Amino acid sequence: MAQTHSTGDHTRDPCPLVIVNDFGGAFAMGAIGGSIWYSIKGFRNSPHGERWQGVRSAVKLRAPTLGGNFGTWGGMFSAYDCAVKSIRKTEDPWNAIISGAMTGGTLAVRGGWRHVRTNFVIGGIILAVIEGVGIALNRYMVEAPQTPVLPEPVSN
Amino acid sequence: MFNKLSSAPVETKNASNDGSNPALTSTEEQSSYDPVALHPMAITDGNQLQYLDLETNTKRAEGLIASRGFLEDLSYGTGAMYMLGLGVGGFAGLVEGLRSTSSTMSARLRSNAILNSITRRGPYIGNLAGCLTLTYNFVNGGITAIRGGEDDDAGSLAAGAITGALWNSSRGLKPMLISSTLLAMTTAGWCRLKHYVAPEDDE
Repeated sequence: MAQTHSTGDHTRDPCPLVIVNDFGGAFAMGAIGGSIWYSIKGFRNSPHGERWQGVRSAVKLRAPTLGGNFGTWGGMFSAYDCAVKSIRKTEDPWNAIISGAMTGGTLAVRGGWRHVRTNFVIGGIILAVIEGVGIALNRYMVEAPQTPVLPEPVSN
Repeated sequence: MFNKLSSAPVETKNASNDGSNPALTSTEEQSSYDPVALHPMAITDGNQLQYLDLETNTKRAEGLIASRGFLEDLSYGTGAMYMLGLGVGGFAGLVEGLRSTSSTMSARLRSNAILNSITRRGPYIGNLAGCLTLTYNFVNGGITAIRGGEDDDAGSLAAGAITGALWNSSRGLKPMLISSTLLAMTTAGWCRLKHYVAPEDDE
């Protein structure tokens, strides 16, 4: 295994390879979540007697697309994350924020410059919120068990 | 990733015959005491560190196509097939777009038409490949679990055939059979490639 000085997650693979993993993981998440979501939607929106057909067609039509959208977002985010890490040579929340903004901007590239700018900002904000919540949770989890209960002194 | 377990050399020869430990010296087998008999990984030669290797504890953890469990296989397989499908579909769309447009069109219109063609073909084939691999991995994982952890080519082939049958399950028996055969053949090709590329993964 390559020698790295990262303080990041050691359960994940090193950088170029992890992009494939993230693509697939995000795709699977989107496709499975989409199957659940659109089967409920297809069931509710179909008339009686055609409910299961409605479920099937809604899932077949929409779940793969949602999976693809999730996969593109996650994979592109991971690719940008790797690129930003290798350029900045640090691991901090800014990596995720920068790559979130870049991903948002890139995926909106066909909509024109204004669209790119808006999605760049939105992507950065979303990832900043996610990172902020992560840091806050981490701090909360670490600080919570800081007061150990001392045993009662035994008096004779 | 090594954890230092102990740096003390195992005393095998010096501890004998000094009379300090009657429990050891009184036995006949003391002279033939062998630490390997206690544990197959015991240190037998002098000053050597003992390491606990965390990485290679699982089956098939090394090699080019390493497997570290169901979820890793699932996401790597799906990701690779999705990217492959996206690339192949995007290329097909590019060719189609180049053919359907002429060079007399304005550059802006032409590039737009070509991009439309790419984004119509690429995601469709990518999504299809991704969904099929996802289903295949779930079926394969189920088959492996039913067989008690046994994961071989026969199980993969069966998983491919079942995935193909599921894919066209709403269209009737004949398309089901065709897609089932097709996917089983693809799986066979993958298994063949795996043995060729990473023979060290085989038992």
